[in-house]
Amino acid sequence: MDHATVVIIGGGATGIGILRDLSMRGIQAVLLEQGCIAAGASSRYHGLLHSGARYAVKDNDAARECIEENMVLRRIGSQCVEVSEGFFVLTDQDDPAFERPWVEACAKAGIKTEQIDVKEALRLEPNLSRSVKAVYRVPDSSVDGFRLIWHNALSARRYGGEMLTHHQVFAIEQEGGRVKGVHVLNTVTGQKSYISCNLLVNAAGSWSGNVAKMVGLDVAVQPDRGTLVAFNHRFTSRILNRLHKSSDGDIFVPHGSITILGTTSFHADRPDAHDVPTEDILKLLDIGEALIPDIRTYRILRAFAGTRPLYAGKSGGQGREVSRGFHIADHQEDGLEGMVSIFGGKFTTYRLMAEKLSDLVCKKLGVHAACRTAEEPLIEEPSAELLEKAKKYFPVHGVTLAANRLGAAFPIVVEKAAALSSNPLLCECEMVSRAEIEYVASDPSTTSMNDIRIRTRMGMGTCQGTFCSLRTIGALSECRIPFPTPPTESLHHFLQERWKGLRPAIWGIQAKEMELGRSVYAATLNIDGALNEQKN
Amino acid sequence: MSKKTDIIVVGSGLAGLTAALSARASGRQVLLITHGVGSLAVSSGCIDVLGYHNGCPVQDPIADLPQLNPEHPYSLAGAERVEKAIDWLQSLCLAGGLNMQKNLSRRNHELITVMGTLKPSYLCPESFCTECFAKARRAAVVSFENMKDVHPLLIIDQLHRYARFADMEFMEAMLPCPIDQSHRNVTPLDVARFVDTPEGLEWLRLSLEPYAKLYPILLMPPVLGVKNSQKVWGTLCDVLKVRIVEMVSIPPGVAGLRLREVLRNALNEAGITMIENALAVRAVADDKKCLSVVTSGAGGEHSWEASQFIIATGGILGGGVATSPGKAWETIFNIPIKAPENPQEWSSTEIFGRSFFSQMGVRVNADLKAIDDSGAVLYENVRFAGRTIGGYDYASEKSGHGTALVTGMLAGELAGKE
Repeated sequence: MDHATVVIIGGGATGIGILRDLSMRGIQAVLLEQGCIAAGASSRYHGLLHSGARYAVKDNDAARECIEENMVLRRIGSQCVEVSEGFFVLTDQDDPAFERPWVEACAKAGIKTEQIDVKEALRLEPNLSRSVKAVYRVPDSSVDGFRLIWHNALSARRYGGEMLTHHQVFAIEQEGGRVKGVHVLNTVTGQKSYISCNLLVNAAGSWSGNVAKMVGLDVAVQPDRGTLVAFNHRFTSRILNRLHKSSDGDIFVPHGSITILGTTSFHADRPDAHDVPTEDILKLLDIGEALIPDIRTYRILRAFAGTRPLYAGKSGGQGREVSRGFHIADHQEDGLEGMVSIFGGKFTTYRLMAEKLSDLVCKKLGVHAACRTAEEPLIEEPSAELLEKAKKYFPVHGVTLAANRLGAAFPIVVEKAAALSSNPLLCECEMVSRAEIEYVASDPSTTSMNDIRIRTRMGMGTCQGTFCSLRTIGALSECRIPFPTPPTESLHHFLQERWKGLRPAIWGIQAKEMELGRSVYAATLNIDGALNEQKN
Repeated sequence: MSKKTDIIVVGSGLAGLTAALSARASGRQVLLITHGVGSLAVSSGCIDVLGYHNGCPVQDPIADLPQLNPEHPYSLAGAERVEKAIDWLQSLCLAGGLNMQKNLSRRNHELITVMGTLKPSYLCPESFCTECFAKARRAAVVSFENMKDVHPLLIIDQLHRYARFADMEFMEAMLPCPIDQSHRNVTPLDVARFVDTPEGLEWLRLSLEPYAKLYPILLMPPVLGVKNSQKVWGTLCDVLKVRIVEMVSIPPGVAGLRLREVLRNALNEAGITMIENALAVRAVADDKKCLSVVTSGAGGEHSWEASQFIIATGGILGGGVATSPGKAWETIFNIPIKAPENPQEWSSTEIFGRSFFSQMGVRVNADLKAIDDSGAVLYENVRFAGRTIGGYDYASEKSGHGTALVTGMLAGELAGKE
């Protein structure tokens, strides 16, 4: 790769959405991501596909965008969306005066709300606090961020789009007021290369300010840290929101068998401020208690944080004051040709953001092609025949999970499973079979166990990697797919990644699991000793 | 319901079982109360004494004991106790038909794990000893279809990364799975149970035969039975004219269950009553004297009176220590464990690093009685054993069963003397 018409920086929802959009319009594009895909805010959030109701009062335009995109994503990404609906709940701690304007604002934005009897709400959600005052239904949904992005990436690939993960742009080449290309470092091999381009797209989210800095531009992108807690239980069927002005800890989002509680909002001084202070977790628990009184009895699976790429624009402001809308900048206005940036926004509207940005790219390149990303599904539904065949090699529930995760690659994995003498589940919590792991491991973008985790959910369930990681590394040795690092190091790196999200919530049942994990990997397998005693 | 006995032991991990046996040796009546099966069900079944000290490998663990900090259970018990406890367990096991061995040069064994890593341990079943690799330089690495935790090619790749094994010839030997379980995990325990049956043993012999003709050593997951492993190992080695080496495996702990079986039999022979499915929830005490332990089980609550008590309920994993944000306590007597208020300070950023979390437990004196900050004894007739005691990180120093055995035996002996 030495030239691309368009180079996109950033492998989050926006960047990969742009890659798909441009590729579908026939524009040759390559995406560069410094880490794994969806390593930033695209995966470090609660996984709520907003109905927009949350923003209705303060930012009605953003709310309208949300509901429109919500409906689009249900259609094009049905395998990634769990249509679970949402409740907006007025608790005894919330101001009842907010209720009326909120209902009106939702109606204005086109968001359907329906008040239901509190008794009925408690029947539907028995873990909800008995003291709630009013409950409304809204069309919220849960969405699997990793999966949605991956399906976008696969769709982009089918149209010729290229994606290079672990490729960091360290310098941008300019000549005569025009961007000519980018200098790239492969962070796995250490190799450096240069890619020339006609147009550079900066879609680096919280990092977009850093990218702009490389060409001497100062933009008001403000990383804002949000902490989230994942519980090892699904104690609510629906998404629960507090009916009040958006605040910390007021959203519960169920996904599969877990529930995520979010979010806090703190100014962050760097885009990768992913550390989770325990005080954030305790604060979330305190606030979450208003909706779910038993919250402290559930095991915390892990805690994580991401940074919202807030764009304060010229008006300034911080945290929740800043609009969730997005902003597209053509740096021609700053005197630099050949580079555009997209700032702000949120996951729910990633497709719309990609569409608008791609429209601008087309205009600049003089290409006339309409956006089709809202019409064409990300992946094709697997045929009934294929699903029937797959049942021979996967447990019944695992068939749907694998089909949804793998999308277009599902037929390949079914063939792989058929060719294996047996296809055991390596990750039992998330039902990931050996064939799926082998397939994902052999993808060129996979360089570590974390890459496998992101695409398959291996290690994200109850055991948090305690049992499945040894199996995965064993199975990969057997099919001779080596990682760049030796097995002990790869495993240690993976466990260390998991540990980051476990240790801020080190109490209760979770502490037991952590002692078990250390016991297996240190006391029994002596991974810590082996790290020093083996030679590479 | 209440019935008084001389000594009550709570917990049936290695510490509880050895405490009960050593207390019984004094001639007193002993009652063992337990909720679950104890840590042996998830253990490697090998007695690690000390593998690392401050992160450095220990060659001779007995010689290195005096260097440990004064709060370490070994320091409290005294180094000479350690050797005594090891010898005692070794003879107990031998009497029960399980030959546990020290390394010939009285150093740590280097056992092979199912991840192909080497792990230091002091006393292990004969079938785990790896000294044979010094003479024979070729081995077949055996596993079974569907045994997800054991992959010969990983083990071979990993062993070749150690100087000691770098030039050794290994061959993968994948045996068919003898148990029909589609989509399911087959664990070493499943196979070991099958090998306990006559047809299972015959099946294994036939399956290993071709490899035994080619290689002098067969390296295997611990599948040589749960009940008669010593006999199975001896028989197979004899008839196949080969040396079989079992690998240390992750839970379920086949070798741990073998050890448990031996100790349970010894308990029965010694006339120790064991009450199962009884969770000790609290104690009744009169000032510094414990009167009874209250358990909760299927039939409701029961109170158990005794003159002496030994608490071997495990650590965080076992349930002997409980935690909430910024707080930790022992679960029967509610003894507070001094902990940093911010849970962030409980653990190290590195998963295997030094931390409060990994060492948290009850503070005891040389008499194994719980003490407060000033060193005053909390309960005159209550002793603690095993992981309930704090002050050491068994996972990183590889001392888990060693500390359990030493404190268990000592607690039983001391209680028997009172």
